[in-house]
Amino acid sequence: MSEITQPVTSTPPVRRLAENSPIVLFGLLVILCIAISIGSPQFYSVENIIAILRQCSLVLIIGAGMTMLLIAAEVDLSVGASLAFAGVVAMDVTNQTSNVWLGVGAGILFGGFVGLVNGLIVTRLKVNSLIATIATMMILQGSVFLYSRQAIQNHNQLPAFTALSTGYLGPVPVPVVIAAIVFAGTFVVLRHTVFGRYIYAVGANRQAARLSGLKPERLTLLVFVITGLLTGLSGLILASLMNAGQPTAGRGFELTVIAAVILGGTSLSGGRGTLLGTLLGVVTLQVINNGIIILGWDQELQMVVPGVVIVLAAYLDLVRRRAGAR
Amino acid sequence: MPADLTMSAPIATSYAGPALEMTGIGKRFPGVLALENVDLTLEPGKVHALMGENGAGKSTLIKILAGVYQKDAGSMRIGGAETAFKTPRDALRQGVKVVFQEIALISEFTVAENIFLEEYPTDAVGSIRWTTIRKDAAALFERIGFGVDPAAKVGNLPVSQQQMVEIARALAHRARIVVMDEPTSSLTPKEVDLLFAVIRRLTGLGIAVLYVTHKLDEVFEIADTVTVLRDGRHISTKPIAAHSHDSLIQDMIGRRIENLFPRSRGPARGETILSVEGLSTSKLKDIAFEAKAGEVLGFFGLMGAGRTELAKAIVGFDPIRTGRITIGGKRLAPHDTRTGVSLGIGLLTEDRKSEGLMLELPVLQNTSLAALGNFARSGFVDEGSERSAVQEFVDRFRVKTPSLNQPIKNLSGGNQQKVLLARWLMRGLKVIVVDEPTRGIDVGAKSEIFALIDRLAGEGLAVVMMTSEMPELLGLSDRIAVMAEGRITKILNRDEATQEAILNAAIG
Amino acid sequence: MPQSASVSTFRDTNSARDLLVSLFRRNETVLLLCLVVLIAYFSFASGSFFTVRNITNVLGQASLAMIAGIGVGVLIIAGEIDVSIGSLAGAVAIPLVVIMNHGGSLELGIAGALALALLVGAINGYLAAYLGINSLIVTLGSMFVIRGGIYLYTGQKAIPDKQGLESFYQIGNGRLFGTVPYPALVALALLIGFMYLMRHRPFGRKIYAVGGNPEVARLAGFNVKRIKFLCFIISALLAGIAGILLSSRLGSAVHVAGLGFEFQVVAAVVLGGVSLAGGVGSLFGVALGVLILSFLSNGLGMLNLATEWQLVTTGAIIIAAVGFDEMKRRRQ
Repeated sequence: MSEITQPVTSTPPVRRLAENSPIVLFGLLVILCIAISIGSPQFYSVENIIAILRQCSLVLIIGAGMTMLLIAAEVDLSVGASLAFAGVVAMDVTNQTSNVWLGVGAGILFGGFVGLVNGLIVTRLKVNSLIATIATMMILQGSVFLYSRQAIQNHNQLPAFTALSTGYLGPVPVPVVIAAIVFAGTFVVLRHTVFGRYIYAVGANRQAARLSGLKPERLTLLVFVITGLLTGLSGLILASLMNAGQPTAGRGFELTVIAAVILGGTSLSGGRGTLLGTLLGVVTLQVINNGIIILGWDQELQMVVPGVVIVLAAYLDLVRRRAGAR
Repeated sequence: MPADLTMSAPIATSYAGPALEMTGIGKRFPGVLALENVDLTLEPGKVHALMGENGAGKSTLIKILAGVYQKDAGSMRIGGAETAFKTPRDALRQGVKVVFQEIALISEFTVAENIFLEEYPTDAVGSIRWTTIRKDAAALFERIGFGVDPAAKVGNLPVSQQQMVEIARALAHRARIVVMDEPTSSLTPKEVDLLFAVIRRLTGLGIAVLYVTHKLDEVFEIADTVTVLRDGRHISTKPIAAHSHDSLIQDMIGRRIENLFPRSRGPARGETILSVEGLSTSKLKDIAFEAKAGEVLGFFGLMGAGRTELAKAIVGFDPIRTGRITIGGKRLAPHDTRTGVSLGIGLLTEDRKSEGLMLELPVLQNTSLAALGNFARSGFVDEGSERSAVQEFVDRFRVKTPSLNQPIKNLSGGNQQKVLLARWLMRGLKVIVVDEPTRGIDVGAKSEIFALIDRLAGEGLAVVMMTSEMPELLGLSDRIAVMAEGRITKILNRDEATQEAILNAAIG
Repeated sequence: MPQSASVSTFRDTNSARDLLVSLFRRNETVLLLCLVVLIAYFSFASGSFFTVRNITNVLGQASLAMIAGIGVGVLIIAGEIDVSIGSLAGAVAIPLVVIMNHGGSLELGIAGALALALLVGAINGYLAAYLGINSLIVTLGSMFVIRGGIYLYTGQKAIPDKQGLESFYQIGNGRLFGTVPYPALVALALLIGFMYLMRHRPFGRKIYAVGGNPEVARLAGFNVKRIKFLCFIISALLAGIAGILLSSRLGSAVHVAGLGFEFQVVAAVVLGGVSLAGGVGSLFGVALGVLILSFLSNGLGMLNLATEWQLVTTGAIIIAAVGFDEMKRRRQ
């Protein structure tokens, strides 16, 4: 039947909904917000909204990189471990040099270095990125303890370091500003640049991309490095939030990020996904988390809900793909 | 029904009447009527050919026979008894074995294990009898005269031998009806002869063979009867003697195509653009040739002669050992598609799905992929000019698509091929290498692709065309290079190229 | 006829070499060699490594990963994956300990634990095999849900075993004739059983066929969905058994038990030569993969290296092994 152009048939409503996942997700988000605010009016308080946004920004910064990676048909499970390590490095360098900016640079560069290593393993050694990044996750988790057994405190109590997470730019918290910049940048890259279009091409069909004169290995490597840099940035903000470099921070964070990206409609098989979807996915997950807290439910539900949501999102993605494949 | 392969047991039993009678078969998919009122009767010991263009309903019909699809209407009788298959296993149990084009074997398993895949012989406690499997497979091969090692891993065998394994599998299950779907599509002429010998042996055993193909020559060689389908309908069933080439084609396409190869351009007089010297890879040996602007240089070769390997080597897709490729006087860095594309050489791949199309992405992205740089301003894509340029090509090539945003997987093979061709032309090439440009494309779209290739050469491109289809080769080429075992054995001019001369050179 | 004799000797040496080459092409041979070299090295480097006590200790520790690895191996051969096994191994301890704390017998507790594993396997299997959702996502999801469920139920504290049944202690810590740990016996029995299943039962062959080429398997009349579903059940039940033994070793239901276990197991399975693409690999290889990682981590401990080095080396070895394998494949 492959030779026959797709017949136009009436689509059942479930499928039609699934085909518009950003709208569905947005609707879901609105309903959630209304429901939670009925249960607890303080949901709309400025403090709470700022808390939500702050949480979102950590996930979104890495999520932007992860979205690009999944579109390029790769994945990075080491971001959680890298996040913690980058925070430790940033704090340590800040302490040693008493210079916040050197610390900031070191943290981000460390993340970028991890991304580079991941990218080289995947593109040069041709190791499946799932396995490769599980392995680098192990290496990072082990070596961060070899680097420092306990959390590294902000010895000099430099206020500039804490300001990275708790400061404000006008009325907006600094991490939110950073996340917004990262979001806008990544959005433009994916939507409007040649590089962004190449990422989609590499994820959709690697061989076709190469045949058309692209360098899939180089592009993949670059996306790994970008994800790494963003992970470093996020690790920095987390360290600032805790006012310490904590080796155990970020455990399981990779799964939160991936859950949010997939919830946003990015396909695991590569070539499809949008950053807007990721934003909605991140916000939805964080609103759920926030709702669990302010409604006074068990905090442990914060693990259960994303688990259910991620499976549901994958199911919707499947329904959508089957609808397209008819 | 565990297979009994002792030397004394008959391999097949035949019926007195027809082996299979299908009448009024209908099958509907959402939005499409795939088959309507189709009749088919197979006689034991005879080869029945089933012909038709792509989309005529051949594959739907054989999938019903294989138990993959269920018919919506009509009746099916085997040996006179009404029946229907719910699963492939049902079909096999009732003696129908379909050998699909995509070989249905587990490549990690041995030949012997694949033969017994459906019914592993087991002992009293349910363990597999591996010795029985090995012995019986060897006995079966000896009996039917196939030279295949039962202990070999299927993945290590050439396609032709894998086909033999599939047929042996049918015999092991005492199939009385064997359906073959385009069995020669990847065989060398020698292997085709071997296959035909096997088919004759099958009919000698009283097995009814349904032979599905679009190759006319084969039908005249092997078939007793021909049924033609068109647009899901039964058009004709006649003894082969009642047909001529023309009458068969007419039944298939419903109209006469006067000239499949409209050649509009004059003789090529351009200067040399592509030159290849001393090119060797693991499969190719010392290849040298030149291609001029405005000419179509056809490459012919039998399966395994190295055409696709050559195509991939000269565009820089595959690594090379030695050799020098120059385009417009500039040397191409080996194994580097990027400089290849920027020097102006591109490959229209034979494997659209895995090397050409980005199936999930829209027509727009698929068309502009190679030329994206043309629409870039300091790294940003100017979407307005991109869209209008793509639209221009879509119109010019008459690509049938509802919109530029349509995912390309929803287009037909012919339209997909046009998009891939447009991808290269947008980039602006000097040399285009086309590998089997009409594979999997129906007759109507074929002549459009031919016309496009002809026009490209007319506009001054050098076209290097790899093909295994003789009419295509003779119709379009200015010169013909013949390959055998990784070498160029002969380069013929258009006027000296005859089928005989080409085949002689191809056999090497 | 000296000439023909020389021809035949030539052929003999040739076939002997072929045999050697094909032996070395086999993944298992290489792994076995690695294991031997590893053990030899540590025996030289540390006096207390090659002792009955230590070797049996390692075998006892390795057996949990081996039991779970068999299940994950079967599932990956079928072309799917399960990363919820770590959470599940932790979760089964809850019904086990709670039932015993309420006066139930060990057998009843085990039945409860396995029932939970069965339920999880069935849900994973239904979502992945029947609904067709990517199994990595499904089991990533259930990994979250189960761990969250554990935290919810336990309030992030361990549930101690109050009854203190000797039999409960024995299953994880006891030794046959005072030497061979019971978990190692369980692992060995399961390994032999599943190797037999995968090689000599039609069902095992169908698992390979389904992972190697689902379309062909379907055409051959196999119920692909059901076979995959059953593999999820196998994986979950074996993870459950590993979890029961783990909880016996810990003497309680610990809320963080099995954290990261899934990654260790998947790593060992892949190291053992099971391809993530499905249809390729052997359980013997899986067993070797588990043993190599276990002896490695024990040996490094013996050399007084910080335990974190074990994580680092394990990760590095996985990258090296898979990268090497990939290089070998490309060369062919």
